Amino acid sequence: MLAAATIGAASAALAGPREQAQRIHDRLTGVPPSDAVLNQMATHIANGHPLDAALLATHDRHFYTVTLKNFAAPWTNRDQNPFVPLNDYTTLVIGLVKDDEPFDQILYADVLYVGAGVTPPPSATSNAHYEALERRMLDPGFDPETGLQRTTQSSVYPLPPNATAGAMTTRAAAEAFFIAGTNRAMFRFTLINHMCMDLEQVQDTSIVPDRIRQDVSRSPGGDSRVFNNSCIGCHAGMDPLVQAFAYYDFDPDTGSIEYTPGIVQPKYFNNAETFPDGYVTPDDSWDNYWREGRNALLGWDPSLPGSGQGAKSMGQELAASDAFAQCQVEKVFQAVCLRPPADAADRAQIDTMTASFKNGGYNLRNVFAQSAVYCMGD
Amino acid sequence: MQHGVRAGATALAVMLAAALAGCSGGSGADVEELPGSGGGTGSATYNGPPPATPDVQAFKISLFDNVRAPNRCGACHSLDGGQSPLFARSDDVNLAYAEANPLVNLTSPGDSPMVLKVLGGHNCWLTSDEACADILETWITNWAGELATGGREIELEPPPLRDPGESKSFPADVTLFETHVYPVLRAHCATCHSASSTTRQSPFFAEGPEGDPLAVQAAYDAAKARIDLDDPAASRFVVRLREESHNCWTADCGADADVMEDAIRAFANNVPLTSVDPALLTSKALTLYEGTIAAGGNRYEANQIALWEFKTGQGGTAFDTSGVEPAMDLTLSGAVEWFGGWGLAFSGGKAQASTTASRKLYEQILATGEYSVEAWVAPGNVVQEDARIVSYSAGEMQRNFNLGQNMYDYEFFVRTETSDENGNPQLSTPSADEVLQATLQHVVATFDPVEGRKIYVNGELVADQDPAPGGLLTSWDDTFAFVLGNEVSGMKPWTGVIRLVAIHNRVLTPEQIVQNFEAGVGEKFFLLFGVEHLTNVPQSYVVFEAAQFDSYAYLFRKPFFISLDGSVEPGSVPIRGIRIGLNGAESPVGQAYGKLSTTITSADYDPATGQLLSTLGTVVPLEKGPESDEFFLTFDAIGGLTYNRPPLPTPAPPAPVDLPEMADIGVRTFDEINATMAAITGVDPNHPDVRATFDTVRQSLPAIPTLEAVLASHQVAIAQLAIEYCNALIENPTLRAQKFPGFPFDQPPAAAFASRDALVDPLLDRMLGVVHLATQPDRAFVEAELGRLLDGIPGDTSRPGLINTPGVTNDASRTRTLAKAVCSAVLGSAAMLIQ
Repeated sequence: MLAAATIGAASAALAGPREQAQRIHDRLTGVPPSDAVLNQMATHIANGHPLDAALLATHDRHFYTVTLKNFAAPWTNRDQNPFVPLNDYTTLVIGLVKDDEPFDQILYADVLYVGAGVTPPPSATSNAHYEALERRMLDPGFDPETGLQRTTQSSVYPLPPNATAGAMTTRAAAEAFFIAGTNRAMFRFTLINHMCMDLEQVQDTSIVPDRIRQDVSRSPGGDSRVFNNSCIGCHAGMDPLVQAFAYYDFDPDTGSIEYTPGIVQPKYFNNAETFPDGYVTPDDSWDNYWREGRNALLGWDPSLPGSGQGAKSMGQELAASDAFAQCQVEKVFQAVCLRPPADAADRAQIDTMTASFKNGGYNLRNVFAQSAVYCMGD
Repeated sequence: MQHGVRAGATALAVMLAAALAGCSGGSGADVEELPGSGGGTGSATYNGPPPATPDVQAFKISLFDNVRAPNRCGACHSLDGGQSPLFARSDDVNLAYAEANPLVNLTSPGDSPMVLKVLGGHNCWLTSDEACADILETWITNWAGELATGGREIELEPPPLRDPGESKSFPADVTLFETHVYPVLRAHCATCHSASSTTRQSPFFAEGPEGDPLAVQAAYDAAKARIDLDDPAASRFVVRLREESHNCWTADCGADADVMEDAIRAFANNVPLTSVDPALLTSKALTLYEGTIAAGGNRYEANQIALWEFKTGQGGTAFDTSGVEPAMDLTLSGAVEWFGGWGLAFSGGKAQASTTASRKLYEQILATGEYSVEAWVAPGNVVQEDARIVSYSAGEMQRNFNLGQNMYDYEFFVRTETSDENGNPQLSTPSADEVLQATLQHVVATFDPVEGRKIYVNGELVADQDPAPGGLLTSWDDTFAFVLGNEVSGMKPWTGVIRLVAIHNRVLTPEQIVQNFEAGVGEKFFLLFGVEHLTNVPQSYVVFEAAQFDSYAYLFRKPFFISLDGSVEPGSVPIRGIRIGLNGAESPVGQAYGKLSTTITSADYDPATGQLLSTLGTVVPLEKGPESDEFFLTFDAIGGLTYNRPPLPTPAPPAPVDLPEMADIGVRTFDEINATMAAITGVDPNHPDVRATFDTVRQSLPAIPTLEAVLASHQVAIAQLAIEYCNALIENPTLRAQKFPGFPFDQPPAAAFASRDALVDPLLDRMLGVVHLATQPDRAFVEAELGRLLDGIPGDTSRPGLINTPGVTNDASRTRTLAKAVCSAVLGSAAMLIQ
């Protein structure tokens, strides 16, 4: 195999500014820099401004079309598959970073990014626009900073502005997580992707289980210990939050998200006979029972009420937590450094970046740049 | 079941079954001759005067003919027996009727003196007093007809008022049990009460071997319900020996009981008392059995020919309490255990009737040509296949009918003239609907000779597309045996819990099925928690409907506030934060009423029904068992009193753990590789050939950057893509001229590659840096390796080099081919891949 020729003997040497610039560029864009860009970045580093070097790299189109695209793609489907076609969820992530928008909007904003001049136009019932946009992104002449345009979900999808909730109400997320089921999937995957924890990590059997729906068996297989020791720990906190999605569904026949204000979706009454004395959902009111007990450690915002109606305010509740901010930072760290934070130094860096992210307007581009500088080698 | 309450000046009553008022029937609503009634074993023909009234006729059919046999009550309570009252006298049914009337309560058959007498141990003709009582209750219910079901009323009986007491709870650790009680059980009970015994008898509180933590834990769990830590002498283990002489190991049962009691006392003495926190606002306390019985429901049983409710709770027999002769009592064998709150838990064993008794089904069902199989089941899982729940069969391939489980489906096999001997083809619930769940479900499978089969789950029709509808039952075999939880051969075990099974020799109508579903299963109680001392409302109670939910928990549901003084107006009583207490402490889990907040007001309060506090139910873990567990309620606020509940504690965050050292470099992933190759070659990634190849190999390229995850197959895909990019580059005259300005692509290889630097340098400049990057491979090493590729290895005839390959035409086309090879070797290398 010709291409597999054994070219591998790297010369061992400490990294200088050029090597550091090369790595920063590689990690942020996925491609090696041109000689001109490499020199420019190396100069910044040599002058003691590595962050400038990194920020320069983040304006390479591949930062958007390769790095951010593949950073977000696994969040948009249940299998966490990175090979899925481009969609509105992934493009929303790219767009928010491109425009240096506060990234916490990912869970509550009425925002949609579309391809300028890309046909077919965006549609509530099809992903074709984004698949065409993905092809455009490969075009060497495509500039994401001008080729992606911001609009609103409420102008394209059958959602009033107050029913939009960032990524959670994108068409891709609806198709993946609102389809069939009980809408708990939307919550669970949002927890995994934006709080960096699965349900096992937030389970707490000591909180009041009064909102667990009828479809949860209290005696799985005839053994209530399973419920009282395990199921209850997740459902007691999750179900009152998932109630925020009570009016949402995805219709696989039309291919569109569905929103029925004032009318709880039938899926909330699935298997009501499993435990008829369980909670019957009356509306989309949600409550965050995790504000007390062990999950108070997630760092909820004391200025928010911890309850509300609908997905948007619930998204704000999640996005304002310390866990959300730290999760975004950890994800970026891993994507750029190619490993999770591992020791005290890494954790201190995470803390620094988290504080800067949260207090500095949730600018995710900066987190990418800071991480790349931290891991540029020495 | 909804509750309604009717209050008089001195008593209130809870009216059950308001929701069922419109339903036809009711248990025995239609007074008709029950299948199989008409005398106990050995009864002689009645030759006395005819019944004087329709009610006497009902008495005769339902009760008299069943009890007057000489092996039943007739042995004593007849003229021959001479034992008063003579309700079983065979000379005159009208006189027997008069004698029987004081002994029955037709509006509440379960409270009949006759039933209570037998339940108390009076001459049961079976081995279980409870089974005899149930059968008598069934017969009296049948006699009562609509009287017993038309308006069942339950009086809320005030329990004795006592404060939640100090109590001992079973420690989680088994050590004390293992030290004190377990040795006695192992020494004297293991011959039967251990799963490994050849004469195994559930419960397995003497499970062994000693020293096996799992076995000791299992024994401990099984023994808890039989140990009374607060009153060791009242422990079931002790009573069983002292009063019932159950398999004493010496000739002196009293002495054996003393040994057992001493062991339990030694255990109990080491268990500290749990005291109620004096700061809590607590209600009065009571046990489950101190509640008012709410059970009974209104099952439709007019055509029921066999019934198992599994009330016995011990022993090796599950009694058919339908009252329809002959009783199909089931013998338990293998891994089957009694389940708390009535039921059998199967895990490989079976419960089987004799073929003789099973013949009842053959006779009763063939007489009508139709039937229904009804069961309350909790499948243990949704992965078991071809498992038999209820079967009337001869083996794995021969049956009259079978209700089974196949993963998420209930399946109903019936033998008819159109089916095969195994009852194929079966009717199955739709797999996509995943109707069967591993939770308690009410399942009814019906067979009608015209319409065929239907399956109802939880009152709803879920399968009616019978692949072989209807037919006659003429091919039934009367030598088969009825079995639960397995096949008669023991080869098709089902895992799960059966809490009730009934066979009817008619098709239950959808309304009757809903009625039986809503009647529920198991015994239920109204627990009246006294709160007068907190509310100052006379005779006020917070009432829960409660039941043993399974072997490990209680169900509490639908609390309401009521005063038993019908003249009371409660005024305004705020209630906030109710929690259920158990044996001196709030239950750590299941506090579904913890956020309840409401106010009892005279406007919302109805003296007849009280005021509903919540529609919810919750499941609270069982500790000692229903006879011993003492419940009480606590309140965050009630009346004018408040308890300042401390917030749930937030633990300190867990200490971070360092991860093993990891590489700080990795590989480019799929899209990065594509973009990198495009950037280095200048080829448009949308070039049709490149795009097609990339789409083909995309998912074969590395998906994650981890070095350790790179496989040989990834390198193959990388090579394919590199070759495609280099092909597109070299075959494009404009692009190649831009990229490699000094390289003569129109010359044959030998001449062209004399200028090889013009080909190699632009590639390596981009890959390794114009000014060499120290983190990239050494440039001279790479050039030398490429040289060997082109020129071969001196002295190695097997590798003459691409330029020297014999038998090829060395023209300009060959030059481009070799240029692609050089390009691909560079582009597909680790110098590109590593980042």
